[in-house]
Amino acid sequence: MDEVVVVGYGTVKKSDLTGSVVRVDPETFKNQSNVQLTDMLAGTVAGFNANQGTSAAGGSSLEVRGPTSLSAGTEPLVVLDGVIFNGSLRDINPNDIESVDILKDASSAAVFGARAASGVILVTTTRGSTGKPTINFTTKIGVAGPTNDEYAFRGPQGYLDFRRDYFRTLGQAQPDYHWFNPDELPEGVTLEQWRASNNNPNPDDTREWLSRLNFFPDEVTAYLAGETINWRDEVMKPGIRQEYDLSIGGGTEKMKYYWSLGYLDNEGIIVGDKFSTIRSRVNLDFQVTDWMKVGLNSQFSSRDESVVQANLNGMYQTSPYAQMYEEDGSIKWFPHGYIGGQNPLINYLGQDRFHKRNNFFNTLFAEFKLPFGITFRSSYQPRIESIRDYNYWSPETITGGQTYAQGRATRYESNTYEWMVDNLLKWNKEFGVHNFDVTFLYNLEKNRIFSSSMANQTFLPSPILGYHGMQFGGDPTISTNDITYSGEGLMGRLNYTLMEKYLFPGSIRRDGFSAFGRENPRAIFPALAFAWQISDEGFYNSSLIDQLKMRLSWGVNGNRDIGPYSSFAQMGSNQYYNGTQVQMGIFTSTLSNPGLSWEETESYNLGFDIGILANRINLTLDYYDMSTVNLLVDRSLPRVTRFENVTTNIGELANRGFEATLGAVTINRPNFNWRTNINYSMNRNEIISLFGDTGEYTLEGQTISGEIPDFENEWFIGQPIDVVWDYDILGTWQVEEAQEAAEYNLKPGDIKANDVDENGVYEALQDKRFIGFSQPRHRIGFRNDITFLRDFTASIFIRADLGHMRAFPPSVAGWSTFDRIGTANYPYWTPDNRTNDYPRLSVNDSPFGGGVMPYKSSSFVRIQDLSLSYNLPSAMAQRFNMQNLRIFGSVRNLYTFSSWPGWDPESGLTPMPRIVTVGFNLSL
Amino acid sequence: MKKYLKSIFVYPLLILVMAACNEDFLEPKPLSFFTTDNIFVDRAGFDALLVTMRKDLTREQTAQKNFMAHQWAASEAGVPWLQMDYTALTPNSDRYQQFVTQINDIYEMVKNANVAISRIDDLEWTDPDDRNEVLAEAYWHRSYWYYRLIGNYGDLPFLKEEVRGVRLDFQSHSRWAILDQIQSDMEFAVQHMPISAAPGIPTKGAGDHLLSKIYLANMEFDKAIEVASRVIDGPYALMTDRFGAEADDPAKNVIWDLHRHANKNIGQNTETILAFVDRWEAPPTARTPGLYTMRVYNCSWWHSAQGKDKDGNRGTIDSGPLYDSLGRGNPDVALSDWHSYSIWEDENYNYMTTPDLRRADINWFDREELYYNNPASSQYMEPFDPENMDIPSEYWARIYPSPFYKTYAPNYPDQTSIPMGSNGDWYIFRLAETYLLRAEAYYWKGDLASAAMDLNTVRQRANAPAISPGDVTIDFIFDERARELFAEEPRQNELNRVSYIMAARNEGGYSLETLHENNYYYDRVRNLNNFYDRADEIILLGQRPRIMPYHFQWPIDDDMVNSNTLGRINQNKGYTGSANNVPPLEVVE
Repeated sequence: MDEVVVVGYGTVKKSDLTGSVVRVDPETFKNQSNVQLTDMLAGTVAGFNANQGTSAAGGSSLEVRGPTSLSAGTEPLVVLDGVIFNGSLRDINPNDIESVDILKDASSAAVFGARAASGVILVTTTRGSTGKPTINFTTKIGVAGPTNDEYAFRGPQGYLDFRRDYFRTLGQAQPDYHWFNPDELPEGVTLEQWRASNNNPNPDDTREWLSRLNFFPDEVTAYLAGETINWRDEVMKPGIRQEYDLSIGGGTEKMKYYWSLGYLDNEGIIVGDKFSTIRSRVNLDFQVTDWMKVGLNSQFSSRDESVVQANLNGMYQTSPYAQMYEEDGSIKWFPHGYIGGQNPLINYLGQDRFHKRNNFFNTLFAEFKLPFGITFRSSYQPRIESIRDYNYWSPETITGGQTYAQGRATRYESNTYEWMVDNLLKWNKEFGVHNFDVTFLYNLEKNRIFSSSMANQTFLPSPILGYHGMQFGGDPTISTNDITYSGEGLMGRLNYTLMEKYLFPGSIRRDGFSAFGRENPRAIFPALAFAWQISDEGFYNSSLIDQLKMRLSWGVNGNRDIGPYSSFAQMGSNQYYNGTQVQMGIFTSTLSNPGLSWEETESYNLGFDIGILANRINLTLDYYDMSTVNLLVDRSLPRVTRFENVTTNIGELANRGFEATLGAVTINRPNFNWRTNINYSMNRNEIISLFGDTGEYTLEGQTISGEIPDFENEWFIGQPIDVVWDYDILGTWQVEEAQEAAEYNLKPGDIKANDVDENGVYEALQDKRFIGFSQPRHRIGFRNDITFLRDFTASIFIRADLGHMRAFPPSVAGWSTFDRIGTANYPYWTPDNRTNDYPRLSVNDSPFGGGVMPYKSSSFVRIQDLSLSYNLPSAMAQRFNMQNLRIFGSVRNLYTFSSWPGWDPESGLTPMPRIVTVGFNLSL
Repeated sequence: MKKYLKSIFVYPLLILVMAACNEDFLEPKPLSFFTTDNIFVDRAGFDALLVTMRKDLTREQTAQKNFMAHQWAASEAGVPWLQMDYTALTPNSDRYQQFVTQINDIYEMVKNANVAISRIDDLEWTDPDDRNEVLAEAYWHRSYWYYRLIGNYGDLPFLKEEVRGVRLDFQSHSRWAILDQIQSDMEFAVQHMPISAAPGIPTKGAGDHLLSKIYLANMEFDKAIEVASRVIDGPYALMTDRFGAEADDPAKNVIWDLHRHANKNIGQNTETILAFVDRWEAPPTARTPGLYTMRVYNCSWWHSAQGKDKDGNRGTIDSGPLYDSLGRGNPDVALSDWHSYSIWEDENYNYMTTPDLRRADINWFDREELYYNNPASSQYMEPFDPENMDIPSEYWARIYPSPFYKTYAPNYPDQTSIPMGSNGDWYIFRLAETYLLRAEAYYWKGDLASAAMDLNTVRQRANAPAISPGDVTIDFIFDERARELFAEEPRQNELNRVSYIMAARNEGGYSLETLHENNYYYDRVRNLNNFYDRADEIILLGQRPRIMPYHFQWPIDDDMVNSNTLGRINQNKGYTGSANNVPPLEVVE
């Protein structure tokens, strides 16, 4: 309870918290592979909604509590060592992180005002401490593969069956057995009959059969030779991961230092997906005089993101009866002879990419002790980022050899230069039972992102110089895109504490931002809170619950996360050749809205902190109610205007939710310590109002009078953003229902949906229903850490996202080319496979007004992390002059329980990695 | 000393704060894009808008899903091969074609024109002629596309001004109201359009030609004759002699020359009223994906399903000879026997014997000329034999002749892409059509002699036998249009136009009240296009050819109707959703 927690522009004791703040200790996750800090946050924090990323760069999506906006960004603000950080989380080495604190409620976050509506993540890095230097070395080596293989590839027999079944259910003139293998004809069909179903059969039955299946000559060759390619194994290979981290920390009374260097090199689960980075950090503190302290936090990272990934669609679509190479040894563009079936490895093998991002982020600060107990801190944070993304497509690729002749190359460069200044005055004074803590802040920022790109092709005399020889091409194009924006902030905060048990913090912040600068540059964000240490009261007497605290808070936060130029009517341009020269054409591409303003989220939080059995069990409960007004909305316009939308402030959105975190020491014996942590969260959001246009409209077959929904974006008053509005699919029309299906212009194998008004046509406004939700209704995390035999620790983390559904578009994908390509391995209906879960391959979806989409449950329970580590007993370690030696291993995404038919319920139709890591850590 | 030291650090920081504290600091500064505030400050800004509109015209006949292909797929001359059943065309889905979604593209053209029209007086013009010339061309583009829109879709919202804010209360205008509006816009425009201009820019001739179509549609036949005559008597003449790049090739003829893409915008060609410009030599960003004529209109002769030899092996393949000149036919528009054969027949001639140059052997690639081009086949270079097909009874539908003189657009020597129909110029308006428009106006007025004269002018140039006034019927005029204007006129639009004229005049048993159940378009398409007669003999992707009278207009995108929550955009009768229609506005306010 005396743990110090970082809050905005300061720290407080955990017992003095008034809002909803969660601390994450990176120590807990040290045995697993963390590319970014968000790898620690997927499912582990109540109210922090994160889905794991699938690429070699790791990371996950970020959302605190619920989505507070319809169109603006909803990623939380990142504050690094007390200052706002606009860079990428990829730049922060997770091994440098001392602690992560997540501000979930409005009052804690309000000191960050304009950017805090989606929550705040405060990251604190390690600093040096007085004493002899500590040298720490960690290395991890791992391998990654997909969590599930079923969806990847139909395989040779599956491909033959798929093609046969496609033709059988397409509605062709020929009899059903026409597409069967002559060796496996249905009962009662003779070979002669089978041959006679074609006018000009090939003398060879096998060739004839393959011709009926529309096999290309290259496929026939491969089939007859018995040669197949397993595209799954060509496109997905085990991804090797390695990571080395070295840090040194130490210091004297006057000077403390921390220095680290980390190198990480990951391969993804798809060939060509890779991520490597060098990250270094220096944190220095100098006590110059007794009244002045200066310091520097410096972070450098160099990321190599030169990803040229093999093409997953090519993996699904290319026939297993194919050749990888041409006879001359070059890569075969169209492995089974169809020009739409591109080799998934073409670009992986023939494209040269150089994509580097260098980032330099510094905080230079000075702190002064002034009279009357006032401290003044001033800091300056420049951030410099340089991106270079160069690409060259050799003539061996389709881009460089067919779309463009003699190679194609592009060069994109972008330079960010931004700075921020924070000036902070603090004053803390105690008068008897009254304690005052005052903070003032003045903040300024300016951002400039200047980028330029060029492209060229048809390089003469030769393209071998690639993107290094842009001037040798024949058709250069250039473009530039420069952005600048600026902001300012002014904040005051008073924390008043009475008798150490009644806490009353309040703050107010005024923000300015140039994107709203045409009419509403500034906005004000206030917050108030109250906390009561009930268990400190004299009257309190409970032997079971020995700690009880109530927290109540209110605040208003802003969101400015839209493009800096959203308020302008921007002109697009295109080039035109009039026969003698190139001319520049312009057109309007966006609508102007000079009144564009801040989105504001007002929220309440009520929480209880409960300690039971001498704090052996800790329970934290929070309920929140958030309401966002002046929503930044890309409001859709009728298509006759030819503007998709206009960015505007309108409407109201509510989020309510409940979060619980339970921590318990389950067993505590000398040789066996078992700690359990459970978190649960749920969020319910609701669109309260949109545009204020009222009238009569039809929805779910009812005529409704009231505020009109936005049908284009599928936003409905009184429904959550993630509500799924679609046809209620009852099953698949079976053969004996042909007549009924025909009323809808459908055939057996097509989707049978609920025709709510039973009028014989499927109309969106009449027959679409609210059939579910696309975001989890309940999120649960369950973690157990066990220390046994003194030196061993084991932990298991189980995660569940429950109650939601996800679109499954493959079932209604365009199928006109299924006579010449394959697909991923998903089930389908045939007259013999009378499934009600999937339609036929050539499904007819055109009678469904507004379109139809099948949804499948994406609930899951997964063993997300499992790890085991062994610490060399310290006596033994010291014998080798080591402080500590630890060896460990872990598995991420070990096993998943789910009925989702795609790759993975969390990533949908993208493969999710399973990562096995081993490593050791050495401290000197 | 101590105090002094402090100031060294503190004051500079305070100064930095003060310096930044002025109001300019939060002023947004656009850097890399123009806004409507800073571009329309001189004529150059407006000219750049016009450049976009001229480029928009290339959408008619470039890229695979071009507008013109849809016009011919919905006609007597062809069917949309990949979706031959029009009853599967719903306000929700047009699947492989863009009968529904092209409305969005065309409204983009309307938007571009409206920006110029609405902002024309934002600028103090030093020369009012400049203003009027810009405005006239913007009117021309808006009127051109609205003429196309009402032909596709009938009643629609007419947007008279640039949309500058949120609007969700659009109402459909009747096509007659729209015709009145574009008629008066064009009456203004033709007074200010230039007599001559660079290629791709609409002139007064293009204005008068368009206006004569609008007058025809609006049943102002005298005025249609008057403006058509202005064009015919203007600086134009039909090309009757050999000209252009291949003029010296004795095997070719003037019709061949007329339709060479390189000849369309040259000075020698006096027949061109307006042709869009699209050239391979332009930078990639300034050219389109190409004409796609070989992809769209040629049959898929190279495909394994039809190209078998007598051994059941592949006889035709997608490389080598033939592939470079016929290209990778898809087709998007499968052409009918009516177009290939019937319209070239009369009591004296058939398609092989007709003297009509538009069906000359050199100008067409007939299916009898097709041969096996697979060197690996035992029948290499031997003529294509329909009996070798998997289903010989589908020969008539799958293999048909190519109007080669129009579709031929081979790859350039330095072009490596799949042969689909390369870049080239294409006619928007040509004098031959002006004659046919005037002929039609004479016909409606009952002046069959004058009509026959105009028809004969066009026929004579093509070496087709002259006709007499007694031969002139509306059907004959539309046969002649098909012979002359394949892939040039918006065929479905013109048939739709006549459907309204005949219904409004109560001719042929048609009436406006029951137009969606009984109309000239349907009767012609259903009766002349042999695909619909032989629907039982062909099935592709599960569909057989099928068409109903209400398909004389296409459905309006469901999303367009539903997102317009404060008004009612009508759905065309016959399609799901039309029960909610309200009467359209009869005047454009």
